[in-house]
Amino acid sequence: MRAFILAGGFATRLWPLTEKRAKPLLPLAGKPILTHLVERIPANIPVTVSTNAAFAEGFEEWKTSLPGRDISLVIEGSQKDDHKLGALGATAEWIKRERIDDDLLLLTGDNYLGFPLSRFLEAARPGVAVLAAFDIKSKEQASLFGTVIVDEKEPTRIVGFEEKPREAKTTLVSTGCSLLPKQTLPVLLDLAQRKPDNVGGLFEEFLNKGLEVDCFTFTEPWLDIGSFGSYLDAHRLLVGKQSLFHPEATILDGSCEGSVVVGKGSRVESCDLEDCIVFENCVLRNCVLRNCIIDDRCALDGIDLTDKMLRAGTILKRQQS
Amino acid sequence: MRPKTVILLWLATDALLFLASYVFAYFWRVGWILSSDLPLRHFVTVVTLAIPLWLIVLGASGMFRLARPQGSMRLFFTLTFANAVGAALVVLGFFFLHQRVFSRLLLIAAFLASTLVLRVWHLLYERIARAALWKDPPAFPTLIVGVTRESKRLIELLQKRKNPLRPVAVLDGRGTAEKDIAGVPVLGKLDKLEWTLNNRNITHLIQCSDLEQSLNLLSACRQHNITYLLLPSVLGVIERDERVESLEGLAVTMVRPERGIPALRSLFTV
Repeated sequence: MRAFILAGGFATRLWPLTEKRAKPLLPLAGKPILTHLVERIPANIPVTVSTNAAFAEGFEEWKTSLPGRDISLVIEGSQKDDHKLGALGATAEWIKRERIDDDLLLLTGDNYLGFPLSRFLEAARPGVAVLAAFDIKSKEQASLFGTVIVDEKEPTRIVGFEEKPREAKTTLVSTGCSLLPKQTLPVLLDLAQRKPDNVGGLFEEFLNKGLEVDCFTFTEPWLDIGSFGSYLDAHRLLVGKQSLFHPEATILDGSCEGSVVVGKGSRVESCDLEDCIVFENCVLRNCVLRNCIIDDRCALDGIDLTDKMLRAGTILKRQQS
Repeated sequence: MRPKTVILLWLATDALLFLASYVFAYFWRVGWILSSDLPLRHFVTVVTLAIPLWLIVLGASGMFRLARPQGSMRLFFTLTFANAVGAALVVLGFFFLHQRVFSRLLLIAAFLASTLVLRVWHLLYERIARAALWKDPPAFPTLIVGVTRESKRLIELLQKRKNPLRPVAVLDGRGTAEKDIAGVPVLGKLDKLEWTLNNRNITHLIQCSDLEQSLNLLSACRQHNITYLLLPSVLGVIERDERVESLEGLAVTMVRPERGIPALRSLFTV
């Protein structure tokens, strides 16, 4: 068994936080999203992370934070969003280059999975592809994702997929977690040649070719972090009504409400923070921040902000009038 | 280097033309002789001394801003006002140096001649300056953020008038399918901002949409020493009745519905 994590996106919707760092490396409740994911993978499974050249350095650094794990990186040559190989294309390239002949745990690096993947793997039948699906409880919400249609009599068997349907027939949505038995890899290689960016279409292709696809459902949280709103939602869910301050952060006076995380080396003085993420080495003085994400090395003084993401190195200091 | 040269040339030619207008007025009123009552040497000395102060008045009122259209009535009034101040400076200077004043008609002639000559020169010089600043490589490569009808109009207008702010690239926060706007390439979404600022030598950024990113665009501009401009339409102001005013020393954008006579309205605006 090998685990392959897709982390080659440029996450333009999360600009400017993703200006110099990949989305899976964004901090979530004190550690990168990708670390949460890798921690769910059984320790004996080697992990390969596929990323692009623009963010390679960040992943190399991240790798050193998990010294006990067998992690390798696959660096795609693309420096820009419009030059990338495509998620399926990158997977196929790796399979061919490394001559992978093993079952494959395929994961997307920007998903938070609340369940241990050992349970997912134990539920798999030999030789049958499995897709983890989450019951989002709302058809309206489901229509924003790829939906999974299961057999009415046998709910663990998938019979169809719909990509962002206008009117969803089900509340089960496809997550970025799947198991591909080695017998299915030729189908992946074939599809990657025709549709290199269509990972979701892979399971539809399995069904078209008469291969079975099982559905694994779970009740633990699942978070697809793709936008400012979903990132803050994930932050609120994981942090809860508490404040997480890095041991090397300094907090003086002020107040914190809701979910607040302050990163390493940051100094927060006389500020009122509510549902905020403050990254590393920021200096905040006399600010009122609500639903804000403050990237590294920002310096804010006397500013009130609501619903903002600030790029690294932003300096906002109110001049005395 | 080119903008500085253009400005310095502009200042020098304005100074010369101001002086030439006064010399012309002298001969027009006094006759084509060198009067001993009002020696030309005294007159020229005083005008020369007044020129730096007159240029400061012109500069402080924004006359030498390269992106401003010289054809506007506002700049005509500015020039007229500055020339009136220039004439007053000449009279005062003459009085201080020689304890006397000179012909009022000479002063009026000098004022009219300088205003007429400088107005014509400014309209002509604008064309020369724009041609010099527009040509490759542009003096002020400008990045447009946001693909909207308003930004398209802006790009076309800047191109048509050869404004020194020459659009060289467009970024769009939402990712437009268009490849170029009036020949200006659309380079992608805002994730390419840093690359664009570095590789296109951007000097000005005009935000035409994506209001939620204004803080980050401003931050990038400050870090790169780039001038940031915001189209009022991003704030929903589309009727062109906005102005930047001061409220207890703080700059505020004021939008006031257009009513009454503009000149009078500005007098009674709160």
